[in-house]
Amino acid sequence: MKRGKHQDVFAERAAGKAVPEAKQLRKLAGDWLKQRRADAELSQADLAARLGLKYYTFISQVENGFSRVPTEIMGAWASELGIEQSAFARHLLMYYEPELHRLLFGAETK
Amino acid sequence: MSVVAFERKQNTGEWSERELSTILAALSAATAPGTGREWETGTTEKGDVQFYLLGSLPDQACELCVSRIGGRYILEDGLGRLLFEHRNLDLVALHAKAAVPSTSWLMVRAITLWCAVRSAFHEKAEPWLVEGEELFVQFVPQLAAFA
Repeated sequence: MKRGKHQDVFAERAAGKAVPEAKQLRKLAGDWLKQRRADAELSQADLAARLGLKYYTFISQVENGFSRVPTEIMGAWASELGIEQSAFARHLLMYYEPELHRLLFGAETK
Repeated sequence: MSVVAFERKQNTGEWSERELSTILAALSAATAPGTGREWETGTTEKGDVQFYLLGSLPDQACELCVSRIGGRYILEDGLGRLLFEHRNLDLVALHAKAAVPSTSWLMVRAITLWCAVRSAFHEKAEPWLVEGEELFVQFVPQLAAFA
């Protein structure tokens, strides 16, 4: 992943500034999803087709950590990866809403 | 007359300077300083390039995504909804511009304008109002005496 040229200037100015937590956690969620998809031996295109998406670009968007798995297709996403839906949602909640996850389920390791 | 069939140049690989300029020009208002928006690029597992328009802090979630697959440009929102697709990037960029959530930016402009007008009104009109009030206070007893 690269940043635009003009952003390098801002990045230099903001050197040392921590990556916002939400963004970082979304990236971790994306890495986890990518690994689970690989375990299920599916390509991004395969998964997109099974979820009824015309293109696989959204799968990439999510796995690169820029978007979340929408709630509406979370169940189907879990099923296609061969993961129990509630476990899948619970695990993603740990990244997407860590405080809510902590309140609901207590502290857990990622 | 014989026609030589030229092979169409495949538009693959990294974003070109021209492509990025086209997208950024269309999104210049959306990415203007003060909006808090940023942009990043990435790729799919097949190496197709993607451009992400990110919202402001703290979430910085993707608001729009432009991808190029085999010379075709795909415009999606942050929820994966397909908004537009075409081979012409200029057209896609126009749709991207229209799709950017701009309410907050308009709201900021409207509030700034309102504050400026209000401040100007207070500066100009307040002395007049105070003067009028003083005159009124002076004349009321006299008018009351006449009554």
